[in-house]
Amino acid sequence: MVLYGNTSCSCLLKLQPGESGCIRHFGHMDPILKQRLADLGVTEGADITIMRYSFWGGPVTLECGGQLIGIRKHQAAHIEVAIS
Amino acid sequence: MIQAALIGNPNTGKTSLFNKLTSSYEYVGNWSGVTVEKKVGQLRDKTGQLTDLPGIYTLLPITRDEGVAVSYLVNESPELLVNIVDASQLERNLQLTIQILEYGKPVILGLNMIDVAKSNGLAVTPEVLAERLGITVIPLVARTGAGTDFLLEQISLPHHDSPQFNLNYGDRLEKAISLISRELMTSPPQNTDISSYRWLAIQILENNPVVISSLSSYANLNQLLAIQKNVREEFISEGMTESLHDHIRSIRAEYIHQVCSEAVDASGKKPHSLTEKIDAIAAHPFWGIPLFLFTMLIAFKLTFDWLGDPLSDLLDGFISGAFSQSATQLLIAVGASSFTQSLIIDGIIAGVGGVLVFLPQIFILFLMISFIEDSGYMARITVMMDRLMQLAGLNGKAMIPFIIGFGCNVPAIMASRSIEQPKERTLTMLLIPLMSCSARLPVYALFAGIFFVRQQAVVVLSLYVLGIALTLLLAKLFSLTLFKDKHSFFLIELPPYRMPQSATLLRSTWEKGKGFLRKAGTFILGGTVLIWLLTYFGPGGSNVDMDQSYLAVLGGWFAAILQPIGFGTWQSGASLVTGFMAKEVVVSTMNIIYHVPDMPGLQHQIAQFFTPLQAYSFMTFVLLYTPCLATVGVLRKETSSWKWTLFSVAYSLLLAYTISFIIYQGGRLIGFV
Repeated sequence: MVLYGNTSCSCLLKLQPGESGCIRHFGHMDPILKQRLADLGVTEGADITIMRYSFWGGPVTLECGGQLIGIRKHQAAHIEVAIS
Repeated sequence: MIQAALIGNPNTGKTSLFNKLTSSYEYVGNWSGVTVEKKVGQLRDKTGQLTDLPGIYTLLPITRDEGVAVSYLVNESPELLVNIVDASQLERNLQLTIQILEYGKPVILGLNMIDVAKSNGLAVTPEVLAERLGITVIPLVARTGAGTDFLLEQISLPHHDSPQFNLNYGDRLEKAISLISRELMTSPPQNTDISSYRWLAIQILENNPVVISSLSSYANLNQLLAIQKNVREEFISEGMTESLHDHIRSIRAEYIHQVCSEAVDASGKKPHSLTEKIDAIAAHPFWGIPLFLFTMLIAFKLTFDWLGDPLSDLLDGFISGAFSQSATQLLIAVGASSFTQSLIIDGIIAGVGGVLVFLPQIFILFLMISFIEDSGYMARITVMMDRLMQLAGLNGKAMIPFIIGFGCNVPAIMASRSIEQPKERTLTMLLIPLMSCSARLPVYALFAGIFFVRQQAVVVLSLYVLGIALTLLLAKLFSLTLFKDKHSFFLIELPPYRMPQSATLLRSTWEKGKGFLRKAGTFILGGTVLIWLLTYFGPGGSNVDMDQSYLAVLGGWFAAILQPIGFGTWQSGASLVTGFMAKEVVVSTMNIIYHVPDMPGLQHQIAQFFTPLQAYSFMTFVLLYTPCLATVGVLRKETSSWKWTLFSVAYSLLLAYTISFIIYQGGRLIGFV
């Protein structure tokens, strides 16, 4: 187990574009999506940055390990991150 | 003769490499999932064959194209695997590498995109990787070809060693692996040719559906699955929540992390500053969509007004002028009969030539599609459009097949395979024919060139927009009525932007455009001859008046039905029927029917038979009515259902009639003629 000390844990979507956090857990995310994210190296413990939100509630663009990934907002909402 | 296969993550340059290593050419693009079908090519030095597999992240498949790669490994057992990895994303790529090493066949690791890695400030040491993994590692830049000669040499070696790779998964899993292996060893499965039972055992523990179904006829399969179930229950009883697959992956990840910390020096790592700068504009949350539409408008202006038309006029001048005249003189000189002369001049040259003059527009369109594909912009479009597409019951990823569909519907339907959800995939395939492909372009160019001279690009663009608007409406309608599954799924990788190389661009434009030329030499040529014969003969004998010909009889059957939508002549009926072969044939038929040697002549004739309103209604009908023969064929293959295929033909005919009816009758009501 990783201990996060005094850091706060919150929903990924609380982050502003350009801000990062460390993934704590994926909650009730669609298991297939979770698997595909894991294939891309987006797993618990990885650092993740919000790059961009879309107009009109469209997908959110994330950066993790040097790659850019787009997923829908309601799925991204399941990701809990620790902000240091 | 060696049988080798290229395997690796999506968008790592496998197809570029395939084109360099073999004497064939396949489609390349800058997004995940360009290759949906395995392709086989002859190695350039003729020492064997190379298979290009669709990109996969892991051997555990989610989409259908991923299943292709895994079942290839299970059923065809290649002698050598060439694993291509993206040096700038090494940790992620090595997950697959480990599974390939466990497969037990010889592996060569192609460390591609070392230039990209270097520009990102990553220094990868191939020797360390080679030593830790126990295989040959070759640095490559597939786009320029650097390192490919050495790779080819290595592939062609007469002997390759199998890797001695063994990652320890911990006592509990190792026990299960050896139990399964022992079971397999005592009674080997009949129809598989897997060299490593360890690999098979690990895949069974990971619950790989393709591997398990390949063992469906194996008598002891239930014992193997029982071992898997046992070990899973043991883990659960210890309070582990993750699946066996996740557990196995994290053990691999730990090992990979260790290897990479030795082989990769990331101390100088830089962000993708160029990609970020371009995205700040091109993928802007608010301006991104207008910018995309503006880009499309510019593309149309180039295709029609600025570049395509002047070039097309030049070509027309040549075909109907110098070329036709020399052909006539030649035919007279060799003493050809009037039948032959008429067949060649009025039939073939008028019919095929009438379509070939649109070659410039079609090539410019393909060039622009290639540019969008190769630059990395395509993936951004899917993100920007996902919200709108989702409202219509589709997926943002459907934008990729839709844009390809503007070129040709056939590869577009193939490209739908990268959409994960079966419902969204079927829906996308059914709607692709509403994307106005390049074959419909000659019809628009002909009619818009006559009736809407000054607003040509705008009128043609309105047809494309009509097709898109109807797609969204029908997507909503179909997804509410025909499909029960509401589950949706969207994830796309946004690759770094890259400037497409002009050689690659020209090549991929040529490869797409070649299909059009091939069609001109086969379907259009054959159709033209047939049509000409149908005009030459009639119930009353040969060389009849056109209005008494078989074609007039055939077209006449449809004239009454077409009357309410504005073009109830046998000529329209005949060209629409023959247009099912390929939509360009509509223009060929008109060239023959109206019996004119060149474009101005045809335009003059058509101007007498149509009003602008009727012309617009006709163009709309051509846009929407039935997918062409080739598209129907690929729809049948990809949906594996006659029901959906026939549905696609039926709904589009009905739609075309309804919309043309509304346009024509509505137009008349508000005062057009």
